[in-house]
Amino acid sequence: MSDNVTLTIDGVQVTVPKGTLIVEAAKQIENEIPVFCYHGKMDPVGMCRMCLVEVGQPAIDRGTGKPELDEDGNPVVRFFPKPMTACTTTVSEGMVVKVDTSEAAVDDRKAVLEFLLTSHPLDCPVCDKGGECPLQDLTIRHGPGNSRFDYEDKQHFPKRYPLGDLIVLDMERCIICARCVRFQQEIAFDPVLAIENRGRRAHIVSYSKPGFDSHYSGNTTDVCPVGALTTRDFRFGARAWEMTNVPSLCNHCGVGCNTVLGTRAGTIRRIMPRQNEAVNELWICDKGRFGHHFNGSPDRLTTPLIRKGEELVEATWDEALSLIGEKFGAIKSANGADSLGGIAGARLTNEDLYVFQKLFREIIGTNNIDHRVGLSAALEDETAFTVGVGVGTDLGSVGKGTTILNIGADLDQDAPILYLRVAGASVKRGAHVINAGGRRTKLDAQVQTTLRYNYGSAARLALGLLASVVSQGLVAKEWADSRTSGMADLEKALKNFGADKVAEATGLTTNAIDAAAKAFAEAENGIIIFGLEAGNDPALRAALEALALATGHAGKPNNGVIAVLPHANSRGAIDMGILPDRLPGYKPVESNAGLSAVEMLTAGGVKGLLIAAADPAVESESYKQALQQLDFLVVQELFLTETAQMADVVLPAKGNAERDGSYTNLERRVQTFDMGVPAPGKAWADWLIFTGIAGQLGADWAYASADGVMAEITQRVPLYAGMDFKNLTAPISLQRKTEHYIYEGMSFTTDIREGIQWATVAESDSAPKIPLRFIEPAKASSQEQGLTLVAPRMLYDGGRLLAEADVVNAHILEPQLMLSRSDAQKLGVSTGDSVTVSQNGTAITVPVYIERTVSEGVALLPRNLAGRPAEKLVGPNGLYSTVKVEKS
Amino acid sequence: MGWTEKEQQDLEKILKKYPADRKLSAVLPALYLAQREKNWLDDDDIEAVAEALGIETTHVHSIIGFYTLFRKEPVGKYMMEVCTDLPCALRGAEDFFKRLCERMGLGPKGGTTEDNLFTVEEVVCIAACDKAPCMQINLEFFESLTDEQIDEVVAGLRAQASNNGA
Repeated sequence: MSDNVTLTIDGVQVTVPKGTLIVEAAKQIENEIPVFCYHGKMDPVGMCRMCLVEVGQPAIDRGTGKPELDEDGNPVVRFFPKPMTACTTTVSEGMVVKVDTSEAAVDDRKAVLEFLLTSHPLDCPVCDKGGECPLQDLTIRHGPGNSRFDYEDKQHFPKRYPLGDLIVLDMERCIICARCVRFQQEIAFDPVLAIENRGRRAHIVSYSKPGFDSHYSGNTTDVCPVGALTTRDFRFGARAWEMTNVPSLCNHCGVGCNTVLGTRAGTIRRIMPRQNEAVNELWICDKGRFGHHFNGSPDRLTTPLIRKGEELVEATWDEALSLIGEKFGAIKSANGADSLGGIAGARLTNEDLYVFQKLFREIIGTNNIDHRVGLSAALEDETAFTVGVGVGTDLGSVGKGTTILNIGADLDQDAPILYLRVAGASVKRGAHVINAGGRRTKLDAQVQTTLRYNYGSAARLALGLLASVVSQGLVAKEWADSRTSGMADLEKALKNFGADKVAEATGLTTNAIDAAAKAFAEAENGIIIFGLEAGNDPALRAALEALALATGHAGKPNNGVIAVLPHANSRGAIDMGILPDRLPGYKPVESNAGLSAVEMLTAGGVKGLLIAAADPAVESESYKQALQQLDFLVVQELFLTETAQMADVVLPAKGNAERDGSYTNLERRVQTFDMGVPAPGKAWADWLIFTGIAGQLGADWAYASADGVMAEITQRVPLYAGMDFKNLTAPISLQRKTEHYIYEGMSFTTDIREGIQWATVAESDSAPKIPLRFIEPAKASSQEQGLTLVAPRMLYDGGRLLAEADVVNAHILEPQLMLSRSDAQKLGVSTGDSVTVSQNGTAITVPVYIERTVSEGVALLPRNLAGRPAEKLVGPNGLYSTVKVEKS
Repeated sequence: MGWTEKEQQDLEKILKKYPADRKLSAVLPALYLAQREKNWLDDDDIEAVAEALGIETTHVHSIIGFYTLFRKEPVGKYMMEVCTDLPCALRGAEDFFKRLCERMGLGPKGGTTEDNLFTVEEVVCIAACDKAPCMQINLEFFESLTDEQIDEVVAGLRAQASNNGA
């Protein structure tokens, strides 16, 4: 029997797969059945009743079991006596649906709208949703012109009820479609919204503390089909039709969410998600939505500054650039090219970074460049080049048959939208997710397997899993033999990582290790995700790479490794060779490797330094001292950061909303963003500044646009071949673009792009065999007494960019030591008491907070908070260490 | 609130009836248990139920809100629930309800008496339409009521309450 069924909707025949909902079938023939509660990303509930249609099925003669035919030989259609909801009814063979051709259905929908509008205020002229409101649009198309309901009976509710800090509820506008409640339940896995009471008194509530406490709360305002939910940020910010919608990318983490800047009169009024099913679907996290205020901040640098004694005074670009040329030139001729160096943050675009490394390598003549400061130094990754997830990987579609192994990434904090997709794969689609980490994280509640290992033993766990795969005979022999080399050596090396030994080092049971290895190896698709808390450990990366290769989970879609790198373009920084030992495209440097960032930030490392989009001075006192000893420091920044205050020349750069460019996300997807708003004052794009500096040093580059720089990258970096802006900005399937926003489309018109992933070595059949690497993990530190202090990065941290977003300020933590109840009891402290945390003679004092999600033996002190107490203990590049905690 | 020892035992008995990963199923009996002592649920009670079942507090609130027999406001020791739905109204229940409120010294929509002994409330259908006006006081039914019967019942309950030292 065929898997398709054919039905007739308003006289038009359509063939769709079995199990399709009527509303979806109708969409295919552009018959737009009106809906409010239905949303393609959520389970249908049929609670708003707006999609009522008449449904009939071919009559079957009970005697013969054959279809009844009328006098003309046509099948008789028997209609159900009552209208049915098109959003919950699935199609069947020969079904006849009447949407607009049935007077009864038209009347029914009119009546439903009349009911929905009985208490809905007529405040469209001041409502934020006005102009992009499904209720407004569908009322005009399907509704009655007037209401018969008694005004005295109107239900009254609070008009400006804060559900939380970020979201404001106007309950009178709500039509109880429960899209917000269902979003939080089914997609965010944060069921902190609910409907209280029933009937006319039903209303939306949140009793979480603090209110509506979810990283994804802003999305509820997008899915709300009326103006009931609005963000505190955008309330009365602009009318929908007045804004220009510019395709952009979020620059807060490595996921690379596609966003749209709603701009008006040169300012960003709001940021909303832009659909990209391969990256962020229809969602963005609240940091991405509200963390854009740095763009329009009055504290932005607007003009170049030159040091005159103690003061930084305003200067022209000509003055600033020629001074840099003169000084850098002098340092180079006096001390050689290697006395200069550059540090570029991973927030810069591929174009910026490419020109940056070209400036240092080709014009100045040194490999002293690096992007690894701060968080970028806490996690490196070269595995993407060989075994990164295959081109075409879609975490939004993987399910049964896929095993995802997550090691040391707290996805809800590190890469929120990745959390939604991984949790969704587990809960909604039945993928087997193994969440391995040193502490409890939010993902634990959504997965089948949790592995809690001792901090510092992640590499041993990975090797243990690999050894278990080998000993259980689960190696994908054929694939591994034909595509990899060195299996025999690896197997020998793995002898020391038998389940018993690994169990002891990690604190897991041998059964748990064997079961996890089996689940990963035997899955049809296997994806490995690793993050900051697994440690910056080459042994771990080699083991994960070998695990992917040995199990054959590499070189094809939905298989491979994803490193949860910290910044928007961390991947691009590695791709573009912002490393002292690697050129663009993962090629080792030909001559001597340069100095790393840490070496450059050591006193006497270099004499002249160019720092762009990085602030090492706040990371550590020793960096600061090294910066003070430089002969010449140039800082290229958005704000006068601590590092910039120490500079000899400060150059104002454009924010990412003020220019175009491309980022490469953690799945190696290269994506572009457009310019949305003008830059303040005389700021330049970073690639242009680097070009200007190069010009002073004798280069004759003629880059006129980011587009032009990318054109050169496509020629010079084989991985990026074909990635010119024309291809990267090519709009994708028209169908998705025109899909009406009442379902799950977007309420604005803008370009939808998919970006392009570059292919890994494992994906190329012609590539030489990939050697299976083994690196002996460092000896586990001697069992020191004390708690393991972990300094994770929280979504809302003390970063400079977020500091400008007043709306999320309340969510930025004050430094506090989070302890489990049992550890707090042992120390005799409770929430609010202050403790002294010490390690190797360094001590800090912070208040305690008892947090039930923290495991025993672990103390959390997030990094990147005011005063940076965590970094003092774990070091600027570290993530955890053993500490002593005492009541002070 | 913190469960009393007896309540803790009862809670464990309730939880045993459901699979360990389906604790949400126990929410209604757990709420009854939490409400048993004082006839209504304060925020701590609700938090305790959420914690016992490992679900969000908001979720528990929404369940309480759906069912009229769970209460988030303090009520009297005796709940007087009068059905005023259409069939009962046809037999005079609406007027009966108004008179009842008056006799109890309450406003036209009911409420709780000053001594916190009685709460009068309109409800929807208590399955005795043919014998309206009808009323449920806690778990006891009263049918075909007259004003005089009410006075009798109230006096009886007051006496009972003072005997119990309430």
